[in-house]
Amino acid sequence: MLKIDRLCVNHGLASALTGVSIEVNRNELVAVIGPNGAGKTTLVNAIARILPVHAGDIFFEGEHVTNLSPLELGARGVALIPEGRRLFTTMTVEENLDIGCYRTLARTHRAASLDHVYDMFPVLRERRKQIAGTLSGGQQQMVAIARALMSRPRLLLIDEPCLGLAPIIVSQVFEVIAMIRDSGVAILLIEQNAVKALKIAQRGYILDCGNIVAQGSPAELEAQGEIKAAYLGAH
Amino acid sequence: MSATLIGQSLLSGLMSGCLYALLGLGLTLTWKYLRIINLAHFALIFLAAYLTYEMSTRGWHPFLSALLLLPVFFMLGAAQQVLMSRYKVDEFASVIVTFGVTIIIESLIQYVWSADFIRVEKRLARGSLELGPWLAPWDQLIMCGFSIIACLLVWVVLKHTWHGKALRAQLDNPSIAAAFGVPNRKLSLALAGMGSAFAALGGVFIALLFTLTPSQIYSWFGVILATVLLGGLGSTFGALAAGMVIGVGESLTMALTAPAWAPIVPFTLLILILILWPERL
Repeated sequence: MLKIDRLCVNHGLASALTGVSIEVNRNELVAVIGPNGAGKTTLVNAIARILPVHAGDIFFEGEHVTNLSPLELGARGVALIPEGRRLFTTMTVEENLDIGCYRTLARTHRAASLDHVYDMFPVLRERRKQIAGTLSGGQQQMVAIARALMSRPRLLLIDEPCLGLAPIIVSQVFEVIAMIRDSGVAILLIEQNAVKALKIAQRGYILDCGNIVAQGSPAELEAQGEIKAAYLGAH
Repeated sequence: MSATLIGQSLLSGLMSGCLYALLGLGLTLTWKYLRIINLAHFALIFLAAYLTYEMSTRGWHPFLSALLLLPVFFMLGAAQQVLMSRYKVDEFASVIVTFGVTIIIESLIQYVWSADFIRVEKRLARGSLELGPWLAPWDQLIMCGFSIIACLLVWVVLKHTWHGKALRAQLDNPSIAAAFGVPNRKLSLALAGMGSAFAALGGVFIALLFTLTPSQIYSWFGVILATVLLGGLGSTFGALAAGMVIGVGESLTMALTAPAWAPIVPFTLLILILILWPERL
């Protein structure tokens, strides 16, 4: 579904990604894990077409999308849940969700999509008239997820969804992501919490210093002793 | 001090307030949503007023002029926004650039119509509504109707339509809004166009209610900026309420002291706003 081939991205003169190749298949949750500064957010922003790509190719459903704008890529069914949530903070919860289904096609399914996300997050139904900026961090993350789902994506890019959230909320967020995976949306999950991410992922990549240093199923990654010690924490 | 005089002052003040809101509407919208402080708004109001005058000398009814001026000014406003975004004019630079545009338009008006006072003879309706001892001229009442309807309409559009929500989303977070399909550029042009169309509507009523001379463009800066800031940027009902507070303040000051003291009201308010709530900018 998504195929990244030898992607290179530079920040000024420094190279942030040096030839990263990853793949996400239909109905698959793929986790990209790695330490701070490994290039995880750079990777997802390059895929979402927010950052310019210097070399390499991005294919979505077999088509070359490296040169599309974020607007055009979104129209093809790729939605981003950005790091730090980045809600429309002065608007109500429901207005945020409305922007999620702003495109003509998504708009025709507004009622059904709203029911779907409100069933997933009942607290948002209660608070649909509340200004998004006044919600707790966990609720704001739910709005960010719900907003992306309103666009009826086929591929969801999720960047560090648990940043700054309380541990109990973190578990809820992972449960929700697993639910979305089960509903048939392909997901590329960028996460620092490797243990939790690999619990719900079918496959994982470990990114360090702009390179993929290991890949495979969660069991395969855990079996590699050095990797476990270096990136997954030695529990 | 008679009750008749106080009552008449209140009534006149409220009607002035509607005019201030109508004139400030476009300004407050582009300021909030485009971060453009469009001083050329005042010049456009007067350009529309002079064009209304010109057409009235050829027998055009003011409403007919408005029908022509609104779309033309919409295009003018959109064109101005194309240039503003092309040259990436920011909020503070916009004050200087649009002040320059104001001077150009003022000179143009002076060149075409001279600096002499002129007056549109045509009235929408003769006479006044008599409310006991108090009088409300029909033309002013019609202006109030247009002002209130315009404020209401803009509020409904911003609050309840897809375009309005998209505009607010764009203000909060333009790149994320774009990723969900919000056409930022088109919306900005449409909003700038609407701002100028409101200037044209205001100009038609300025032509009907006042004697015109080009330099009067500048006499409106203080009171309209005070209205917009007191009302809160982007708030249409805020502008209406603030306009009325200022209008009533002015007319009571006129009645209790002398007409020359009236401008002290908006300027005092403006200074107080800047001292007490600088974040309103």
